[in-house]
Amino acid sequence: MQQIFNEFNLRPESQGGHGERIFEVINLEPINHFIRSLHLPIDVTINKAVVMMWLSAIVAFALIYYAGHGRGLVARGLKNAMEAIFQFVKLDIVEEQLGHAGQSYLPFVGGLFFFILFNNLLGLIPAGFSAGSNLSVTATLAGMVLIVIIYTGIKNQGPLRYWVNLAPGGLPKPLYVLMYPIEFISLLSKPFSLAVRLFANLLAGHIVIFSMLTLMFLFGLWLAPVSLAVATAIYAFEIFVAFMQAYIFTILTSVYLGQALHPEH
Amino acid sequence: MEGINLAHLGSGLAIGLGALGPGVGVGLLVGKALEGMARQPEMAGKLQVAMFIGIAIAESIALYSFVIAILLFTK
Repeated sequence: MQQIFNEFNLRPESQGGHGERIFEVINLEPINHFIRSLHLPIDVTINKAVVMMWLSAIVAFALIYYAGHGRGLVARGLKNAMEAIFQFVKLDIVEEQLGHAGQSYLPFVGGLFFFILFNNLLGLIPAGFSAGSNLSVTATLAGMVLIVIIYTGIKNQGPLRYWVNLAPGGLPKPLYVLMYPIEFISLLSKPFSLAVRLFANLLAGHIVIFSMLTLMFLFGLWLAPVSLAVATAIYAFEIFVAFMQAYIFTILTSVYLGQALHPEH
Repeated sequence: MEGINLAHLGSGLAIGLGALGPGVGVGLLVGKALEGMARQPEMAGKLQVAMFIGIAIAESIALYSFVIAILLFTK
């Protein structure tokens, strides 16, 4: 125990520790990775995030396949849980926002929901890693959403009408010089906020759990029960956050899809 | 002070002040939504969905300041 304590010697540097370097432990690798990935020879190394994404895709597919196949009219246990979640996505997210005509978007929105949900949940398993706490992953998801929104709008309103309908009609003519740039920026800020929201929530959760655990190394091991209890409570809250963020991401996606499907006049 | 530069101070101020407005906004939003739900419990489902969308939009303003804070911190 003393060895661990020495290794995490987080006292300020003036007292012989290296507390100032605590952020090197957390390191902001997700952001640096994103910035590196903007340079041209694209980094396609198979890292932790990629493996966790594969894993969560496999888990999501396997669970849904298991819930959808098999005999028996009444679902029980795990099947019932998957059915309830799927029902929620279908009725409360897709049909609520897109109406009955939006059924064809259920595979996209539902796929996003289950992928993000299992990404978040797998990150909560000890030694696991949440791919959502990497900005590259969430930015890719949000970019995909942006492409689908623009494609939906163009398909439903025509290539020219879509861009005309971006700004609300019935305003004085000179105002449109101002409105179109603003509306265009707001269109681009939608996926930006989607990406940063998911990323920030997951990263912040992990950092808070980590900081709560480091409290006992900062103040001494007598604080261990308190710090463990608080960390466990935050861990439980993180399970709620995992569901919440998957819900927020998909409901905002379907709200934006609804705006593209039924424009304001 | 060696090792501490003003960018760190700025990053703390950015997230602190940037979270102030959205915090008040989310509080007002949830308060009003709860009021509505208490008055008309049969509307609770619809109000809840609208509330979450509103929270997400208010929250995104705090997230912009979070990005600025991170950018300043890693400077």
